[in-house]
Amino acid sequence: MRELTRRDVLKLGAVGAVGTTGGLGFPAVVRGQAKEVVMLGIWPFTGAFADVGPILDRGMKMALEERGMKILGKPIKYVTRDSATQAGASTRRVEEAVDGEGAKFVIGPWSSGVALAVSEVAKRKKVLHYFSGGTEDISGARCHRYSFQWAASPYTAAKTDVDTFMKANPKAKRWHLLVADYAFGWSVEKYIKEVGKTHGIEFVGADRHPLGEREFSNYVTKAAGNKPDVVAMVNFGLDAVTAAREIFNFGLTPKIPLIMAWSSGVEELVQLSPENRENIWVGSNFYYTAETSVAREFARDYQAKFGNPPGYAPAAAYGMTRMLLHGFDRAKSTEVPDVIKALEGIEVNDLVGRMRVDAKTHQTLRPFFFMRCKPKAAMKNPMDFADIIATGDTPLPAAYAACKDIGSF
Amino acid sequence: MSRAWLAVFAAVILLPLAVRHAIASEIWIFAIFGLGLNLLLGYTGLLSFGQSTFFGSAGYVSGYLLKHYGINVFAALGIGVLVGAVSAALVGYLCVQRSGLYFIMLTFALNQMFYFIAYQWTTVTGGEDGMPGIGRPVLLGVDFRQPLAYYIFVALLFLVSLWVMKRIVESPLGKILQAIRENEVRAQAVGYDGARLKLLAFVIGGAFSGLAGVLYAMLFGIVPLEAIGFVFSGNVVFATLIGGSGSLYGPIVGSFVFIWLSESVSVVWARWPLLLGVAFVIVVIFFRGGCVEAWARFWSWRERRRMATRLAS
Amino acid sequence: MLYALMGLGLSLITGILNIPNFAHGALFAVGAYFLASTLHVVGNFWLALVLAPVGVAVLGLAIEYAGIRPLYRAGHDYQLLFTFGLSLILSEGIIVVWGPIGFSQLPPPILRGGLDLGFIFYPKYRLFVMVMAGLLVLATWLFLEKTRYGAIMRAGIEDKEMVSLLGIDIHRLFTAAFALGAYLAGIAGALTAPIRGLSPGMGVDMLGIAFVVVALGGLGNLLGAIAAGLLIGVAQSIVAFYWTEASVAVIFAVMAAVLLVRPQGLFGIR
Repeated sequence: MRELTRRDVLKLGAVGAVGTTGGLGFPAVVRGQAKEVVMLGIWPFTGAFADVGPILDRGMKMALEERGMKILGKPIKYVTRDSATQAGASTRRVEEAVDGEGAKFVIGPWSSGVALAVSEVAKRKKVLHYFSGGTEDISGARCHRYSFQWAASPYTAAKTDVDTFMKANPKAKRWHLLVADYAFGWSVEKYIKEVGKTHGIEFVGADRHPLGEREFSNYVTKAAGNKPDVVAMVNFGLDAVTAAREIFNFGLTPKIPLIMAWSSGVEELVQLSPENRENIWVGSNFYYTAETSVAREFARDYQAKFGNPPGYAPAAAYGMTRMLLHGFDRAKSTEVPDVIKALEGIEVNDLVGRMRVDAKTHQTLRPFFFMRCKPKAAMKNPMDFADIIATGDTPLPAAYAACKDIGSF
Repeated sequence: MSRAWLAVFAAVILLPLAVRHAIASEIWIFAIFGLGLNLLLGYTGLLSFGQSTFFGSAGYVSGYLLKHYGINVFAALGIGVLVGAVSAALVGYLCVQRSGLYFIMLTFALNQMFYFIAYQWTTVTGGEDGMPGIGRPVLLGVDFRQPLAYYIFVALLFLVSLWVMKRIVESPLGKILQAIRENEVRAQAVGYDGARLKLLAFVIGGAFSGLAGVLYAMLFGIVPLEAIGFVFSGNVVFATLIGGSGSLYGPIVGSFVFIWLSESVSVVWARWPLLLGVAFVIVVIFFRGGCVEAWARFWSWRERRRMATRLAS
Repeated sequence: MLYALMGLGLSLITGILNIPNFAHGALFAVGAYFLASTLHVVGNFWLALVLAPVGVAVLGLAIEYAGIRPLYRAGHDYQLLFTFGLSLILSEGIIVVWGPIGFSQLPPPILRGGLDLGFIFYPKYRLFVMVMAGLLVLATWLFLEKTRYGAIMRAGIEDKEMVSLLGIDIHRLFTAAFALGAYLAGIAGALTAPIRGLSPGMGVDMLGIAFVVVALGGLGNLLGAIAAGLLIGVAQSIVAFYWTEASVAVIFAVMAAVLLVRPQGLFGIR
């Protein structure tokens, strides 16, 4: 009885044009029916990242709808839950969706902290979990058989950033780093320094700022004092946007280039004005002008449907769902262990190019994009932020791999 | 046994049949948290806006010990209570000297300080990622990983907490605290050391928060960063006020309403905090005294009407 | 200087009205958004900078009149519940009206770029904000010290009963104080918009700092709020330069340290 009412509530939500569910097409299917495949999107509809939840939801839904909400002849039931970017709430709601709705495949959420909590649930409840974002742990120190990582390894990112930038600016040898002070920021910083050595880069300064910092003037004056050729930032979201704005305000950009080493791309760039963006170089897991047939179609359909090009968030949700569906195809089964085994070592040409899942770590080996922002005059439309100047896909050297044993079921 | 106790027992038994065990457990954990706050808010007249300091600290310390040293459940709970009490003593020492607004803002600001320590001290707390991997150990052959077993454990601890709190508020200490709430100067004139007694209330409240914090950590297997954030402190204050701070049972009703609301409304509309805000404003304007008082008012209104109809006939 | 402005506004409200205003951060955010919108409509930054905070003051007026006035006798807990609810409504309202994604607001053309001070390159707009905030603090200070109305407000902090015994309408005083506090929060927000940009969460970030400033300065002590605002700003800059990781925590560390030595705040008497 309770399941019924919950679903009715969900319908109301869909009418309210917010978190929608693919379950709408299936009126009150009997719970636990083995014939349907239940997939859960755990996205932040409220809380710190409330803005990205709905667009993540769009991406996942597009990938499912392309298959007519069916996989291997079975109907897919898509349910969503609000992660609220709170680990406690997410844990509770994922558990509830697994127990109550019979969800066996979980995608999301947005922030890495919550993702690690969801990953724990996946391990405990033995359901497949796909995540994309800034943590090395899912395919590293805390890897296990049930969780997969879609975003590139921080090493891949750092290598692409530094190599491509140095190719374009061989003389820019004095770098100043500004890094968000937490584990993922440190790993990207470490790899940037490592790769930097091979180019003879001198790191004239490296400052770490707390997450959630809003007052960057001191960091920027300090950076300016070092007289660098380049400022490179490893931070995300509002931290990155606020810092980039101050770097412009203090007259560093556009005189010297700014690298955003691990950016979400569109979602961050749209918050800066075109003047702010001049001479910013961006490393990202996705950009909508990617030269693959899947990306071209996705960008076209997305633009047609929502009136603006897709950013990283919907692309990641879309890309992860597609990978998961490839796993089903290869497994020819909808059982969790079969799909996991099929995903391990899978190799496909998909959203961002050639993509492979490392069976040992569950890291998706894939290209990472490096873009340069366009000056205002060169922009064809307000969302025409940047050109992709290169991609790179060097995987993390085995010596650094923190995932020693992916474990068993 | 009073009617209220019967209602509580009925709720403890019926709740897991109505909602999932994890949510049911969380409601009672939150109620324990609320009981601790209400000793300050309802009985002593101290509005602490920093209760999650003790909740979170206890969760982190016991969680750390559970995770790395696999300590016994009761040891974890005991340590949690202790950490809650000690951290409350520290914060309380700074705060109880002040009263009114100053007190509120101090508890809030100190809460922020603890939050930023937890945020930054990533090697221990995991920072934004939280501290995951906290197990629920087996106790006397009972496997607490079973949601129902853990629910029963939590519910029993809740009943014990409620009983203890009832004893406290009905004891001389409880009476004195209420006297301080009503008129601190007079209480002091009669010879009670207001500051020390307030500190004592603070420490007891902290101990309850600590217990709730450890239970919360074991329930979800993680101490999330928000468990020490000011929103959490606010939530418990609001739950208590919605339930009614004038009554021992107010926070229990409040935690039920609050958690149930946030779980069901969040699915309907993503902008649900807006509705929450409206709900707060409505409570303030129309139902000061919260659910318990609203219920009492409704009850007396019905009684009067019944009397009136009886008289009329 | 901005911290001083925020603290001063909050100190006025807490001092005179004796309520915990958890909506102060939301008013700050509303000020920033009002600036962006009026700028969009009137197309002149200076006019927008004048109008936006007035809009916030009017909003403050309405809030005080409709919501807070019935609550003066209600106890801090319900006042807190109300202002917190209000803060939720305002910040969620921002998301509903302006959308959840933040955006940038450039300074007016004349204030773009910076001055090369030889040892440092400093943006013109920041200098402008410093001067502007300084002038505002000074103006508020003069208003409170030198005018009749200001004297009444200060008297209101000291002894409300006395003021109303003297035949002054205490309710009008409260409304005016809340509106002035809201105005200061609004203009702080408006001035901040070109520096930090706009995002729905910007108010919450500021609220904690404003509370620390007020607690440090001593409740209802206006000079204290100004001094504490400056102290925190300076402390944060210095620490951020030498030990960047601690720049947020230092705010609270300073507060805890001062309160250990002087529990009543820097200039507190009560």
